[in-house]
Amino acid sequence: MATVLDFPRKAIDGASAAALAPLRPFLPAGSVDEWGRDEHLIDALTPFVRLRWRAIIDGEQHLPARKGALLVTNNRTLSFSPLSVAWSLARLTGRPVRFIGHPDIAPLGPAMRRLGAILQHPDEVRGALHHDELVVLGTSTTPHPRQAGRVDSAMVGAAVLAGVPVIPVASMSSPFGRRIRVHVGAPVRPRTKRRGPLAETELADITQHHLQRILDELGGVRTGIAPLDWVVEG
Amino acid sequence: MNCVRGQRVLVSGMGGELGSLVAAMLEAEPWVGPIMGVDVDPPRRRLRRATFHRIEPHRRDAIVDVVTDFDPHVLVHVAVWEPDARVGTSQARAFTDDAAIAFLGAAAECRSLQSIVVRSGIEAYGRGRHSLTRPDEQAPLEPTSQYGRMVVGIEATARATGQRVGVPVTALRLAPVLGPHVPSPLGRLLRQPMVPFSLLGDAAFSVVHDDDAARAFVAAAERRVDAPVNVVGAGAITGLQAIARGRRIPVPLVGPEWMLTRRLSHLIGAPIPEHVLEVLHRGRLADGSRAQALLGVSPKVSTIEVIDRLFAWESVVRMPGRAEAVA
Repeated sequence: MATVLDFPRKAIDGASAAALAPLRPFLPAGSVDEWGRDEHLIDALTPFVRLRWRAIIDGEQHLPARKGALLVTNNRTLSFSPLSVAWSLARLTGRPVRFIGHPDIAPLGPAMRRLGAILQHPDEVRGALHHDELVVLGTSTTPHPRQAGRVDSAMVGAAVLAGVPVIPVASMSSPFGRRIRVHVGAPVRPRTKRRGPLAETELADITQHHLQRILDELGGVRTGIAPLDWVVEG
Repeated sequence: MNCVRGQRVLVSGMGGELGSLVAAMLEAEPWVGPIMGVDVDPPRRRLRRATFHRIEPHRRDAIVDVVTDFDPHVLVHVAVWEPDARVGTSQARAFTDDAAIAFLGAAAECRSLQSIVVRSGIEAYGRGRHSLTRPDEQAPLEPTSQYGRMVVGIEATARATGQRVGVPVTALRLAPVLGPHVPSPLGRLLRQPMVPFSLLGDAAFSVVHDDDAARAFVAAAERRVDAPVNVVGAGAITGLQAIARGRRIPVPLVGPEWMLTRRLSHLIGAPIPEHVLEVLHRGRLADGSRAQALLGVSPKVSTIEVIDRLFAWESVVRMPGRAEAVA
């Protein structure tokens, strides 16, 4: 005859509470959304992020209130501007803002996914945009802070297929200062309506051009120390 | 699509929790006429109208005989054995393959057949490197686990059958199904007192409640959509969050010790098959937004509610003995 062993409920509860006590503030269920972004973790890390970046944002009226959009930002080497722009705009709009590109290997990949990263894959981006998400795409990296790199036309193609606007977002930051200036431009409109792959190729080129124009208008980095600004400007 | 009344529905795998739930829901549908079920085990719940045949999946001739005699309008193929749910991986693969060939083959011989609904899983998308985080139905099928390959095989067989006989095939790609009596390796693992989780990649996953999965089958049988449909509970949860909600002891693991953990877990009755390990390491999400448009239903119970219910289900229901009850 089999015997039923009683589950040592109290002992397990005690051990579990002790083991999870330090992690409990980071573990509210429901904080992870269907793309793996963890709002609670982001809230918890925000004070630390503010120690590094203090964002000044303008042009936010160009962001759609509910619909999705592909936000294309310039990307100076080691500036992490897609992350900082996504973080700043999420704080401003109260909407989750995702950014494209994370290495798909543990532990960095899963950690970045919790911060809102999605894969650099057209289908992944199309899926997010189709679900009315705001997605930040960094241009190819450049050494100069005021130079807009090449815009990935495959990602722009995802926006074209999802039927959402492509919006240039210029960001200006300095490796030595906290201040990061984010300027959201008007949605880019293609000159000619195309039916084929030229649509995304041309839209990517125009977006790069618009982004460059906004960066030129923003002017250079101003840390308050002229020699430092010259160094940063290259 | 509105079906005419009196449709004959064949439910393969009616003995299982999900199959018997589907059959019970079909009994309440006004468009459903006679219901017949076949499985290796008798149904898990009381069915009032359905007839049942207990036949092992390898007895293809017997299955073909009863199916062709019944001549169904709709085949609901639920006879899929998830590895380490009721049987081990190799047996699960053999049973699933035998059942798919026998039922789909037999249904193709039936003149009245109008629609096929098959059980698949979001494991079909795979979780390899650079796999989409939240694949929709158009995403490529690149399974990375044995169970994933099994469900892709079922879908391929069903699609080929549907094309040959000219009937629509709906493949329901279910998230891991959890329910009070559903044999699920993931559910069993999460209910252990100590639960391992991946310290480096505690990824998010979604699940679906068995009621919602069964409702999707019934809707698919009625609507007859010729497409795959993801059926996924809303929201997501990570392994560690699930452990915290269930007040289990978390066991953080990094890499090689998973092998030992899997063996130990197997010994204590909660084997961790490849696809469950994948859930803990890489997560498992899918875009289930098309279900409402295609089937007219979407899961009512969210992933977090399913996980909460998983921990609330009684392990052992104690019935007082006869003498004790009298006293």
